[in-house]
Amino acid sequence: MNGPWVEKYRPQTLDDIVGQDHIVKRLEKYVDEESMPNLMFTGPAGVGKTTTALALVKLILGEYWRQNFLELNASDARGIETVRNDIKNFCRLKPVGTPFRIVFLDEVDNMTKDAQHALRREMEMYTKTATFILSCNYSSKIIDPIQSRCAIFRFTPIKGQDILKRLEKIAKNENYEYDTEALETIVYFAEGDMRKSINMLQSAASEGEKITNDAVYDVVSKARPEDINSMITKALSGDFMGARTLLRENMVLHGTSGEDMVTQIYQDISKRVMDEKMDGKIYMDLMEYLADCDFRIREGANPRIQLEALLTKFL
Amino acid sequence: MLWTEKYRPKTLNEVLGNGKQKKEIETWVSSWKNKIPQKPLLLVGPPGIGKTTLAHIIAKEFSEYIELNASDKRSYDIIMNTVGESSTTRSFFNDDYKLIILDEVDGIHGNDDRGGARAIGQIIDKSKHPLILIANDFYSKRIATIKNKSQVVKMQKVHTNSLNAFLKKIAHNEGIKADPVAIKELAKRSTGDVRSAINTFEVIADEKKTFEMEDLDIISKKDDRLTIFDSLRTVLKSKTPKKVKDAMFIEEDPTLIMEYIAENIPREYEKKNEIKKAYENISKADLYFGRARNSRNYGYWKYASDFMGIGVSLSKKDTYKKFTKLTSPTSFSYLSKTRGKRNLRDKIAEKMSKKLHISHSVAISMFPYFEIIFENDEDAYDISDFLELDDDEIKRFRKKKIPKKVINAKEKEKIKNREEKKKIEIEKGIYIKKKQDTSTKTKKSPDTTQVKPEEKTKKDLKSQNEKNTKKTGKEKKKELLKDINEKNTKKAEENPKKEKLKDRKKTEDNAQKSLFNF
Ligand SMILES: Nc1ncnc2c1ncn2[C@@H]1O[C@H](COP(=O)(O)OP(=O)(O)O)[C@@H](O)[C@H]1O
Ligand SMILES: Nc1ncnc2c1ncn2[C@@H]1O[C@H](COP(=O)(O)OP(=O)(O)O)[C@@H](O)[C@H]1O
Ligand SMILES: [Mg+2]
Ligand SMILES: [Mg+2]
Repeated sequence: MNGPWVEKYRPQTLDDIVGQDHIVKRLEKYVDEESMPNLMFTGPAGVGKTTTALALVKLILGEYWRQNFLELNASDARGIETVRNDIKNFCRLKPVGTPFRIVFLDEVDNMTKDAQHALRREMEMYTKTATFILSCNYSSKIIDPIQSRCAIFRFTPIKGQDILKRLEKIAKNENYEYDTEALETIVYFAEGDMRKSINMLQSAASEGEKITNDAVYDVVSKARPEDINSMITKALSGDFMGARTLLRENMVLHGTSGEDMVTQIYQDISKRVMDEKMDGKIYMDLMEYLADCDFRIREGANPRIQLEALLTKFL
Repeated sequence: MLWTEKYRPKTLNEVLGNGKQKKEIETWVSSWKNKIPQKPLLLVGPPGIGKTTLAHIIAKEFSEYIELNASDKRSYDIIMNTVGESSTTRSFFNDDYKLIILDEVDGIHGNDDRGGARAIGQIIDKSKHPLILIANDFYSKRIATIKNKSQVVKMQKVHTNSLNAFLKKIAHNEGIKADPVAIKELAKRSTGDVRSAINTFEVIADEKKTFEMEDLDIISKKDDRLTIFDSLRTVLKSKTPKKVKDAMFIEEDPTLIMEYIAENIPREYEKKNEIKKAYENISKADLYFGRARNSRNYGYWKYASDFMGIGVSLSKKDTYKKFTKLTSPTSFSYLSKTRGKRNLRDKIAEKMSKKLHISHSVAISMFPYFEIIFENDEDAYDISDFLELDDDEIKRFRKKKIPKKVINAKEKEKIKNREEKKKIEIEKGIYIKKKQDTSTKTKKSPDTTQVKPEEKTKKDLKSQNEKNTKKTGKEKKKELLKDINEKNTKKAEENPKKEKLKDRKKTEDNAQKSLFNF
């Protein structure tokens, strides 16, 4: 079985994790002491939160990690009741061969506040048998009572150098030749996101024998739908209805998340100003609106509505 | 006599609207008269626009006619007995045609009508007589096959202006003193339904012989709950805060009202600045809805309501004197139109979510890369094999099927690798046993490894744990990983590019398929 490279090259041990040294050091202490508090991993996508949690669990629970470990993704449609039931059923059982059991609840910031309050009660009820690891993108979306019950680890975007080294290693291991420039381009576009970097690498590799800068740029333009570009062009030229339709197609049909839309819009107008196709002042105005939109989405507003409002600013 | 009967058109000419359609019908009739058989005529259109009336007018052109409508029991037998016979056996004495009218054929439903649609199909096939079918819903499943076998005439709503003139004529005829503005408004509100316009007019004006705007208000206020469209219209058309605030008091999900208003802002407002301002208010309203949800403090709703109500209404410089077709949020109809595609998307996302430890949304964000990677036959095979994607799901990422040749080669390889791996695992198992003298665990299912540690004393447990995590756990894994990594890099150096595929296969296995894989 050959999964995509992101999965194939997921670090299996803590010391293989790149660029989060201070966190790893701290976690290794927990392993030595054989005890740990509830943990919360926060940080942007693709920087190793899930990877770290999985590696830590295997290390600290040792041979019996499988029986003592429950992994759930909080964000999916299963419904909070199922999630809670799973947690309850799991936590009711005693640890087998280990001092405690671990519940890993991934992407918790997608849980409603009500669900989070319920979760907090569960965390309290089973303190004797189970330890929780939570992960999220924004700790601000997590209710205070949960935050105060966790040791919080803030993951940072991975440094360009570290990503570059990793990409080189993977390319070598897969027997691909590459231009260093190509890998640098990937690093630039990935913005500290290792998952994205590796996905781009494999995409570029699938196009030929050698990973070239051209191949990478090809991937960048293909993976960023044309739609975003024409959406912005439409809005800038005054066609709000047209732009709004493209936005909805992207978000409803392709399922692009609000955050991704914001990133892609940012990249698109950045490119326009870099190519000197957009006036600096206009760029700065738009940037301010975009930042505002970004902020409101993080504050819990409806991403599509906020982005529609953003598009009117382009008119 | 009811006005709808009294004013029912007696000739084609009197029927309002649908000029082209009437011509088509006339041609159909004259063909029959010239003994040239025609396909059945299927009249489709919304209620109250004259479909049944037209059928009756046509009937006069034939010597005889039979009519059935939805209120008749239309079981298979009934239809065959009454219509089926007469449609196949033409009169012996004269060869005049008998017109058969089947009204509201899309209304056939329930158990009694089982076979009804089939019966109609058979009647159409056998009939040597002219046949008129009438239906409301062009997209009804029940008329799907009928449509194919007929000449379809799509009837349109009657235009406001024609309806307006018609109502004036009735007013004159009945001696009613009517305000022309009120009549115009009635025509507009009837949205092309002549029957309902006449009925409303009769109810209000028959007794008191006058007709004014207020009368209309009484009628529409009978059901005094404002609809979402009423609120919407007020927000967009008015600039009076009091009116707008009143209009916002309706029993609807306020976030839904917001969607309606947002949807129609660019339809009503024309100046860029107005759209900007209005949408800024929507954005703020939405922000407060979010805050209300998150804090569970629904007191925030009142701010949201003012932003999307008064805020949006005051965003325009002047009110527009125009008729705007207001619509429900298209993002919702978009949702239902794209259901199939989204289901497929979600099925794939669910599979990825499980295997790649990611949420649906992260999974979906990887789709564009998969679209590129899947262009490569081997990668496409590998990944879909890993994720256990079915053919439809693979098609989401690449149009062409994966070539049989590639699949066969890959499958052979898989078998070979499995055997090799078994060998390696056995070797490793022995290796570990010697070194650590503990039992090794090779990919057992959780249940079978459920060793009974509960039976042991706490002390035992602890010491065992120390062994496991401190030496067996941590060190063992590190050693093995190192081992594997060395092997991998060595192989990579030794192998020239040519054997890439084969080689890639192996490194993949070694990199991950160790004892402690997920
Ligand atoms: N710090 C890291 N070091 C090495 N690889 C990483 C790191 N972070 C992410 N990756 C790569 O990206 C993939 C996704 O990482 P993951 O831990 O799931 O990210 P997230 O932070 O979103 O949970 C991993 O499978 C791995 O291939
Ligand atoms: N196009 C029309 N022109 C004039 N009157 C009409 C028209 N359509 C409907 N009416 C009025 O409405 C009544 C009902 O019309 P009908 O033909 O039964 O509608 P449908 O069959 O389309 O539901 C008629 O008796 C007539 O008074
Ligand atoms: Mg994750
Ligand atoms: Mg009718």
